[in-house]
Amino acid sequence: MSRSSRTEFLLGNGAIALGLLEAGCQVISSYPGTPSSEILPEAHRIAESEGLPLYVEWSVNEKVALDVAFAAAVTGKRAACCMKQVGLNVALDSLMSAAYMGTVGGLVVISCDDPGPHSSQTEQDTRLLARAAKVPVFDPSCPEEAREMVRTAMEISEEFRIPVILRPAIRVCHARQDLCWDPIPPRPRRAEFQRNPTRWAATPRFRLKLHEELNGKLKRIEERFATLYRFNGSDPAAEGVVPLGIIAGGVPFAVVKDLLEEEGREKEVPVLKIGTPYPFPESLAEEFLSRCEKVLVLEETDAVMEVFLRDRRKVWGRLSGHVPWEGELIPQRIAEVLDRALRDVGLDPLEASSDPEVFHLMERLQLPVRRPTLCPGCPHRAAFYAIRKALPKAIFTSDIGCYTLGLNLGAVDTCLDMGAAITMASGFSQAFAQDGELRPIVATIGDSTFYHSGTAGLLNAVYNDARFLLVILDNQVTAMTGMQPTPGLGVRADGSLGKAVPLERVVEGCGVQFLRIVDPYEIPSLVRTLKEGWDYVREPQGGIAVIIARHPCVLAYREEAIPQKKRLKILETCKECRLCIERFECPAILFDEEAGRAAIDPVLCAGCGVCLQVCPNKSIVEVKEEAGQEAPHKG
Amino acid sequence: MEPINIILSGLGGQGILFMTGLLARAALEKGFSVLGAETHGMAQRGGSVISHLRIGRARSSLVRAGRAHFLLSLDEVEAYRNLSYLGFGSTCYVDAPDSPSLFSGLDRFLRKRGIVFRFFPARRVALEMGAPRAANLALLGYFAGFEKEPVGYGELRTAMEVLFQGPSRERSLQIFEAGYEGALRSRNKI
Repeated sequence: MSRSSRTEFLLGNGAIALGLLEAGCQVISSYPGTPSSEILPEAHRIAESEGLPLYVEWSVNEKVALDVAFAAAVTGKRAACCMKQVGLNVALDSLMSAAYMGTVGGLVVISCDDPGPHSSQTEQDTRLLARAAKVPVFDPSCPEEAREMVRTAMEISEEFRIPVILRPAIRVCHARQDLCWDPIPPRPRRAEFQRNPTRWAATPRFRLKLHEELNGKLKRIEERFATLYRFNGSDPAAEGVVPLGIIAGGVPFAVVKDLLEEEGREKEVPVLKIGTPYPFPESLAEEFLSRCEKVLVLEETDAVMEVFLRDRRKVWGRLSGHVPWEGELIPQRIAEVLDRALRDVGLDPLEASSDPEVFHLMERLQLPVRRPTLCPGCPHRAAFYAIRKALPKAIFTSDIGCYTLGLNLGAVDTCLDMGAAITMASGFSQAFAQDGELRPIVATIGDSTFYHSGTAGLLNAVYNDARFLLVILDNQVTAMTGMQPTPGLGVRADGSLGKAVPLERVVEGCGVQFLRIVDPYEIPSLVRTLKEGWDYVREPQGGIAVIIARHPCVLAYREEAIPQKKRLKILETCKECRLCIERFECPAILFDEEAGRAAIDPVLCAGCGVCLQVCPNKSIVEVKEEAGQEAPHKG
Repeated sequence: MEPINIILSGLGGQGILFMTGLLARAALEKGFSVLGAETHGMAQRGGSVISHLRIGRARSSLVRAGRAHFLLSLDEVEAYRNLSYLGFGSTCYVDAPDSPSLFSGLDRFLRKRGIVFRFFPARRVALEMGAPRAANLALLGYFAGFEKEPVGYGELRTAMEVLFQGPSRERSLQIFEAGYEGALRSRNKI
């Protein structure tokens, strides 16, 4: 029975997932990271509802994910691998080599950029890495286009036997759009492997040949891109030469096109859209350039297309100082850039849409900065509080995850990249040891991040006799990116059970001799264990001490995390020390100016009761429902 | 049709994404195209959160400064943080315990641009009805009591009936209704 078409208000990542399935993708691997995290779950959801064969896996990191997808593509299946842009750094080793080796089935690598940055450590531009790896890249401007591009990317990948990148920016991934689709026919392929050592295990001698082959593919793909009018091209040309034209791709294309139409200027300022910035379809751009006196290049986040345009005198962009080198190209900023370019060529400026007064006004309002915080009841808060209490003078190296917000509790000093809590702790330890100093160092890393990049660093630290305390904040989930499972529980991406790999086994396997598991909600016990650990670190025959602070995430496991919610209140005996607000930093505790003491917001409070152990004055008490009495906590 | 631009703001965890989803679904039911932009990741942990919703034909999901028709904010401070989005003659629906007095500079600016602020104690209303986290629904009901375009009471209620299928459905609808009635009451006062 044939089914009718469906319409859904899909997240951009859902649109990408849909495009992958429409392209016959059978294998998707990923490591979660904003803004890419929803692609895999959406693909799984749609595949289930459409009855399509799809293998999905949360791999332990992006490099692993790419190797897995690459091998699937070598068997002739169509495969994809999804990650955030900094994840591509981790997978780059794999990508660089895969470009030389080529594939059999299509392989699309989806690397999601985060101009802003909103939820990343850099604003790096995936297109530059595509150029470095010699891999074609597609740059969608909206969810619908991302869906179409991923299908074309899969075709191009398979036709030319080369991995292809789709680079959606956060405004594509986390845009939502109504999309309609017809039932997707299953087209399963069987895995095959044809031995070919000169390709799949090429030695340097053969690599030279593969490199030559790769360059040839890129040349032919460039020619194809020059006629790929679905994604590249401009509106029909006006007669003669215009004073200003725009070359744009990705989200800035969508923004500038909307802007010109709103202002009624679309006929006056032609736009050449390039949806495939590498290999750069130069012939299209040269033709467009010949019709414009000046060309403004709008792209995110670096100068990529701009660099490919040879006539520097004609081209405005980042190199000429017209476009900022950092920050997201939000509509307001593009309007400012365009306005300046219009004035510079002697055309009418844009109609002002906003009143500059509003920005002065907002300065005068002095709005408080609302920084992100750990949730009420978050076990990380308890752990950080205990760490600060046990070793206040330590250097606190930390890592990527919710717990980076331990910053707010003064228990995070560094955050470099995935796994660097451990490796930077090693480096600090060795640098101080050289001077004969044993500085207390406490590294904090989440469970998912530890599985991702922690083991190599820990093994290295043990082997080289670095001395520090490592606290693995084990909330049994990848929380920041939306509650994906970790290898620790053994639940897999499709919900089925795999084989759990407990953290403690991995830690012991790395050669660690001191390992304790503590519930961070028990602050005195964690403080005691931290001090014991530090004693072990200091012993001549000691080493690295690892403490697993294990308590489930309050968002992911509401019931298990706090089985018995406590009702709390703050007594009049509160001495206004504000420790619970400033040092413990629980969002559910506020300072009631009128009453002159701290107060608990019953809506925000998770009822964990950890603050009972924190108040030095025992002014936070539990309200006993039945007896109606207030029993001070004995702690 | 030029798109209708809506900004939704508040703090992470208040249900901004859900409110955006309801408005979008209501607009889709009415036959509009819809494009939205959401905040995920780090900022969701209690920080400032903003959603953009463009109803009608649009290519880019972000609203340009000075071009929003409506602002719905679950937090008063976050409403002021997004003042620069507000277009001439726009209307803001803001959750605040009682109508705060705006300081004179702000008041003058709003009058100059013909911007109307409407305050409603959405959180208090939801709290009194036993679901403090449903302030978003109360505010949406309040919005529906004033506006028919791009979407109004009927479409929003239908969208809620579709999206709520669990045991919380009845209470959620009641909270929405309470917001709606609150709007009708304050309209009668005007």
